Amino acid sequence: MSTRSGIPQITLKALKWEPHLPPVEMEDATPRQLAAMKVTPSAKKVSPYVRTLAHDPDSYVARTELFNAIMYVKEGLPREDREMGALVASIANGCRYCANVHARQHAKLSGSSAMVSALYAARPDALSDRESAILAFSKALTTTPPSADAEHVETLRQAGLDTKEIIDLIHAVAIFGWANRLMHPLGHST
Amino acid sequence: MTQKLDAMDRAAGLSADSPLRSFRAFRPEFVEGSEACRLAVLTPEDDLGLSQDLRAAIARRVALGANNSTFLAEYPMPENPDFSDLATGKPVTDPALAALASHADMIAATPAKASAAHLAALQSAGYSVPQIIALSELLAYVCFQMRVAHGLRLLEGTL
Repeated sequence: MSTRSGIPQITLKALKWEPHLPPVEMEDATPRQLAAMKVTPSAKKVSPYVRTLAHDPDSYVARTELFNAIMYVKEGLPREDREMGALVASIANGCRYCANVHARQHAKLSGSSAMVSALYAARPDALSDRESAILAFSKALTTTPPSADAEHVETLRQAGLDTKEIIDLIHAVAIFGWANRLMHPLGHST
Repeated sequence: MTQKLDAMDRAAGLSADSPLRSFRAFRPEFVEGSEACRLAVLTPEDDLGLSQDLRAAIARRVALGANNSTFLAEYPMPENPDFSDLATGKPVTDPALAALASHADMIAATPAKASAAHLAALQSAGYSVPQIIALSELLAYVCFQMRVAHGLRLLEGTL
């Protein structure tokens, strides 16, 4: 895909996340914690993030199942648009690690780094109408208190999103209102 | 839709016959998953030493940030009067609860400002690592629910 408005296309390198608090060590894990950590597909090596949250296994399991449904469930809003909602929320909430992960996911799913490059270059003028509508709505839903209004929804509809897809977008942005408030406060990324 | 209103419907102020409830029903994973999360943070089987009353109080403090009385009505006052100030957003005198209150206020409104020092403050106030994780999940859950409820209410108005 060609560059838009001459914005240099960026390629983001993966970051590493380290917890501020000691994570659960596998040899000390309770049966409940061990069962909880199995919810994650990458069972080979359990990440420090998962082991940190496994201190409270019940909320870990419930949130992870909901998170996976919101981000990966079939049909409805295309996955790349969910990733954009996640990215916009993560930038607004100051979660650099989450922003990096979901920017890279978006680029992978869409086959282009154009949207991510425009966001990171603070060039919203280079976004498509659909992307602009998703950006404005996601940002407004992320403020405290949430400030998304009927005009934002109308703009999403004009950009082609139907009611079911808007429900998917609401959940993608909202679940990052949760995830960002774990990942950023509980650790740092390098 | 004849199904009973759930906590998210009520937080969004949806009525039993709201057409938006049929749209919500297309995503049973979201409906059931949100409810499972609510129970896991507010009334867990293993409370890790954080009572349901304390959880209710801190959740209500975060819920105040929605600036929405319909949403807040889903967060009842705790029974223990010692948690009243915590639940009503007032300054708190008890040192351990005060540490919790200031952490909750920061996480809800300005999560970008969070740092390791904030967690150290909670540890100095006597909270264990599992308790800090459980509290983090609880605070952030309310922030999630606030945004879904806002979005659903808004969307309903455009149908």
